[in-house]
Amino acid sequence: MKLKHLAAAALLIFAWAHETQAEFRFPMPEFESGYKHPEMNTPLPARIPAAVDITVLFVALGATAWSVVKLRSRSMVFLIAVFSLVYFGFYRKGCVCPVGSLQNIVNALIDRNFAVPLVVMMFFLLPLVFALYFGRVFCAAVCPLGAIQEMCAVCPVQVPRPVETTLGLLTYAYLGLTVLSLVTGTGFLICRYDPFIGFFRQGASFNMSLVGGGLLLIGVFVARPYCRFLCPFGVLLRWVSLFSRWHASITPAECIQCRLCELSCPYGAIVVPTPSDRPVDRRTGAKRLGLLLLLAPVIIGITAWTGMTAHEMVARLHPTVRLAERVAAEERGLFAESTIDSDAFRAGKQAPAELYAEANAIEHRFKHACAWFGGFMGLVLCGKLIRLSVIRKSSDYEADRGACLSCARCFAYCPVEAGEAPVEDPHARS
Amino acid sequence: MPGREQRKRRFTPNEMFWMAAVGVAVVSGLFSLVVSILLIANYVQVQAITPLDNPELLKLRQQLAAAPEADKNLVDQIRALDLLTRKAFFTSQAHLKMGGYLLLGGVAVLLAAWRTAARCRPRLPQPGVAPPSKSYWTSRARAGRLVASAGALWVVVALLAAFFTRLDVPGAGTLPPAGPAQVTLAQNAENATTYPGWEVMQRNWPSFRGPGGYGLAYYTTAPTEWDAGTGKNIKWKTEVPLQGANSPVVWDQRLFLSGATDSVREVYCFDTESGQLLWRRALDKLAGTPDKAPKVSDETGYAAPSMIAHGDRVCAIFANGDLVCYDFDGNLKWGKNLGVPDNHYGHSSSLMAYQNLLFIQYDQNSNGKLLALDLAEGHEVWSVIRQKISWASPICVNTPFGLELVVNSEKNVDAYDPLTGQPVWELACLDGEVAPSPAYSRGMFFVANDNATATAIRFNPSEPAPKPEMAWQWDEALPDVASPLGAGQYFYVATSRGQIVCLDSSTGQAAWGQDYDNGFYASPILVGDRIYAVDRRGTTYVFKTGPTYELIATSRLGEDVFATPAFLDGRAYIRTEKNLFCIVNSNGT
Amino acid sequence: MSDKPTIGRRDFMRVAATVAAGGAAWTVARRGDEATVWQLDPAKCVQCGRCATNCVLNPSAVKCVHSYPICGYCDLCGGYLQPGAKARNTGAENELCPVGAITRTFVEEPFYQYTIDEKLCVGCGKCVKGCNVFGNGSLYLQVKHDLCVGCNECAIARNCPAQAYQRISVRTAYLLKTRDSGSGKQG
Repeated sequence: MKLKHLAAAALLIFAWAHETQAEFRFPMPEFESGYKHPEMNTPLPARIPAAVDITVLFVALGATAWSVVKLRSRSMVFLIAVFSLVYFGFYRKGCVCPVGSLQNIVNALIDRNFAVPLVVMMFFLLPLVFALYFGRVFCAAVCPLGAIQEMCAVCPVQVPRPVETTLGLLTYAYLGLTVLSLVTGTGFLICRYDPFIGFFRQGASFNMSLVGGGLLLIGVFVARPYCRFLCPFGVLLRWVSLFSRWHASITPAECIQCRLCELSCPYGAIVVPTPSDRPVDRRTGAKRLGLLLLLAPVIIGITAWTGMTAHEMVARLHPTVRLAERVAAEERGLFAESTIDSDAFRAGKQAPAELYAEANAIEHRFKHACAWFGGFMGLVLCGKLIRLSVIRKSSDYEADRGACLSCARCFAYCPVEAGEAPVEDPHARS
Repeated sequence: MPGREQRKRRFTPNEMFWMAAVGVAVVSGLFSLVVSILLIANYVQVQAITPLDNPELLKLRQQLAAAPEADKNLVDQIRALDLLTRKAFFTSQAHLKMGGYLLLGGVAVLLAAWRTAARCRPRLPQPGVAPPSKSYWTSRARAGRLVASAGALWVVVALLAAFFTRLDVPGAGTLPPAGPAQVTLAQNAENATTYPGWEVMQRNWPSFRGPGGYGLAYYTTAPTEWDAGTGKNIKWKTEVPLQGANSPVVWDQRLFLSGATDSVREVYCFDTESGQLLWRRALDKLAGTPDKAPKVSDETGYAAPSMIAHGDRVCAIFANGDLVCYDFDGNLKWGKNLGVPDNHYGHSSSLMAYQNLLFIQYDQNSNGKLLALDLAEGHEVWSVIRQKISWASPICVNTPFGLELVVNSEKNVDAYDPLTGQPVWELACLDGEVAPSPAYSRGMFFVANDNATATAIRFNPSEPAPKPEMAWQWDEALPDVASPLGAGQYFYVATSRGQIVCLDSSTGQAAWGQDYDNGFYASPILVGDRIYAVDRRGTTYVFKTGPTYELIATSRLGEDVFATPAFLDGRAYIRTEKNLFCIVNSNGT
Repeated sequence: MSDKPTIGRRDFMRVAATVAAGGAAWTVARRGDEATVWQLDPAKCVQCGRCATNCVLNPSAVKCVHSYPICGYCDLCGGYLQPGAKARNTGAENELCPVGAITRTFVEEPFYQYTIDEKLCVGCGKCVKGCNVFGNGSLYLQVKHDLCVGCNECAIARNCPAQAYQRISVRTAYLLKTRDSGSGKQG
């Protein structure tokens, strides 16, 4: 009954409509009562001019560098961190952030058509340039992700050095995966798995909120877990900071080896003086290092090869590959129901054979990318092992240039006053 | 700027502040905890009673839709439940927002108080517990070992991942390939021809009911509405010189039809762009052609089987057993007579082709055969003796077990390997005079005939060889001419009495059924997510696939239609009793 | 930090790196910086409902908009009424919109106006689907830029089964349907 009425009505209207507009099914009304339709609401986005953001970033970085190097004031650094949390975090909703900007830069290198706005470019370069001169002042007080973790670092616990070193490998892995994801066209992993941006823009998936909350909770005891063990931008900052000119130093003048600062750093970034005794003599040590250097290509080869063999699993990250798998399985009758994606695919113009060909091409790209990723991880592994084998003699307590986040906590622990003689007899304490 | 003395941090404890700070911290901590729990509970609740797809509301709505009249009780129930879910939804949203802010505030206070407390009971600067020397070297060594183990872990995990995950995308070597894009056959130098592969076949309309012959169009766009009376969306209309029940086949820009009377048999080639008849060829007497054509029923006629277009060849077969093969310019490449078929209605099984083979289902009352001839020269490559007569056509399907040629006959459904003719499986589930061809969707076959029961055949994909089993059977509203159609999860049956039924392939339950004024001889075709069913009077019904009936459009041609339409590249080609129509959306979509 | 000649070399490298960075920034600035926003192309949209669930914001920044010039103002509105609605009134049992965001008001015989309350709309696309199936397609989804936070990678874009999302210049910001085009056109 219903169908016939609907069909009849449709036919009638359709037939009439054909006289007026062939395009739309139902004709436009001619209003006699003088009715005027309401206007559509199409608001434009409120944009902060790029210059404002870049200036604020520059000033914040400069102020932090000044506070760390010249003023040596922890409270100033903390205040700037609060400001950054409020401005870059809650006000600007955590986007654009320098951590994510590295994706845009890498993507622009891969894809000629991808445009990088000036803001993103400056957000990528400024922290690195400042790191080149002053160390990781960006991490100290300007990064909103770091700032929110800094607020939570209330009872920091010392993480054993071996654990810290090993977990630090994850940052390289994250960086490698990010680049891999960009090269294969899978997407922006850093943006997707940013744990804290949900708090900044008051909107996140349930899972990411839990992850963010969890990380902050962990951060109460293990300070800045994201920064130390996950942040991919931190890898770049670490490398650049090694060459910094005016890095934060624990003592304002000379180190008197009083050891009072040993437990002051929540991030384990203090380099202690090398003890004079060694467990192995120089020759054995050199032989070990030589062996390691010889084995390095082998290790890198193995990790590259294993990375390549695992590429099929990684390829599933890509939505086209997942879709092709799903469509193929449905064609074979392995699934009774279809998904939204497979339905939309079937309603489109592409044939399954084309989809499979595309998926196979992407899988091939993954093969190469995973091999490179594996090789990169192998290189990082060997680098870490070599660094652990090479004994760099240091006689003072100083900040580890790569790991130190310039948070200025340790300054208060040092009894040395600038331009003054040591307060107490240095030998009395040891 | 304060002097260095004042700026330097004092490690002096402050018990009073500490107690106050701890107090505030505890209170705000508890507050934050409570708010977090409430937020999580709120989130869970929002997920459960979202008005977007509340199952209870959906059920009530379905009840209302099914009821003939608007039941007041039901209406009130729906209104109440709808209001409730909407209210709950928006209140939850507001609560979530408010809760978020409260939590933010609570956590901020908590952290501020906790930090103050920590400041008020500071840990004095002191050296680490153990003297650095021993622990320095051991920790270094341990770090090295740990890093090395991390490396080993990476290798192990990667190998495990590689071993246990395999991407199942066809073409990567995991599924039997559908056939290479081009197959070059070097039979002898001048006859070396490349035959189109599976993918190229999919892009054309090479046979009855489309590529493979089971009713699925490759192109998903086609006009949904047209009217021959007003000329809406009709691109061209051409007269076909002689009548025939065969359906249009299209390859590239060429459309082929055949027509015949008891004395003349002709093949026609039309241009798809203009509808112009490019050439027509009347068959000469071939070796073995009988002087008189056999008796056929009026409805079947002398040119019932549809042609096949494959690469650069097009073949036709007629009721007297004449089989010819032309190239696209109309030059006869070869022709033979297969012997007059012992067929009381008239031979109607359409042709099928794959690679270099032409398949003819020559089922008769006696001496029935399934033949595979070489397309280039016409000699027999393989043949299989068949027992029972049939008027259905073969379908060529890429199943999970490989490519199969599946045919219906009076008793059985049989599947053969197209290249060798080896039987792959068979199932006895038919009866009567079988004209409808098999349907296929997602690994299942569906066969139906009037005077039999419709049967769905499924296979266990984990078995090495296909073993057919009857998934379910159905016996209301059966077809006797139009072949059923498999579309996704559903099978569709169009009968000569004007019924169309949609069956759920997993259960065999009818999802819906519709009655139409006239019966269907043309087989329904799936284009994208729409099904086109043309009834005998030339009215085309376009409806959506799916468990609920949704008619999209009805179009009239005003002429009788027995043939199944062809869909290609946004166009539909329909053959009526005397004419051939090309239908395109006038705005070019 | 002792004064060795290597420091001089390091200083030079630092300055060189800074200059290179500045050069890169200048090249980008010179190329012309056009801000872009995410937008949905209504011609490609298949109304899958993911716009409502995938946006990082809750409720989603995607809302349904109504192109009045295209609307037929029909009594039997495919986007307002449930398919198979028993009566053509504003009863909840007849409404297609799950959150009741469409208001139906009588204009003159036989025309009715349908407006969308954006505060209620969640961007589920049910009305869009209905209007496309039985209607002129005057209801469609668009990203609202007073709500959208402009993520680097739009979470909806990533999951759109029809790949209907793209970055367009902020100067246009919307892909509106007009009477002439009938489908998405920059407006």
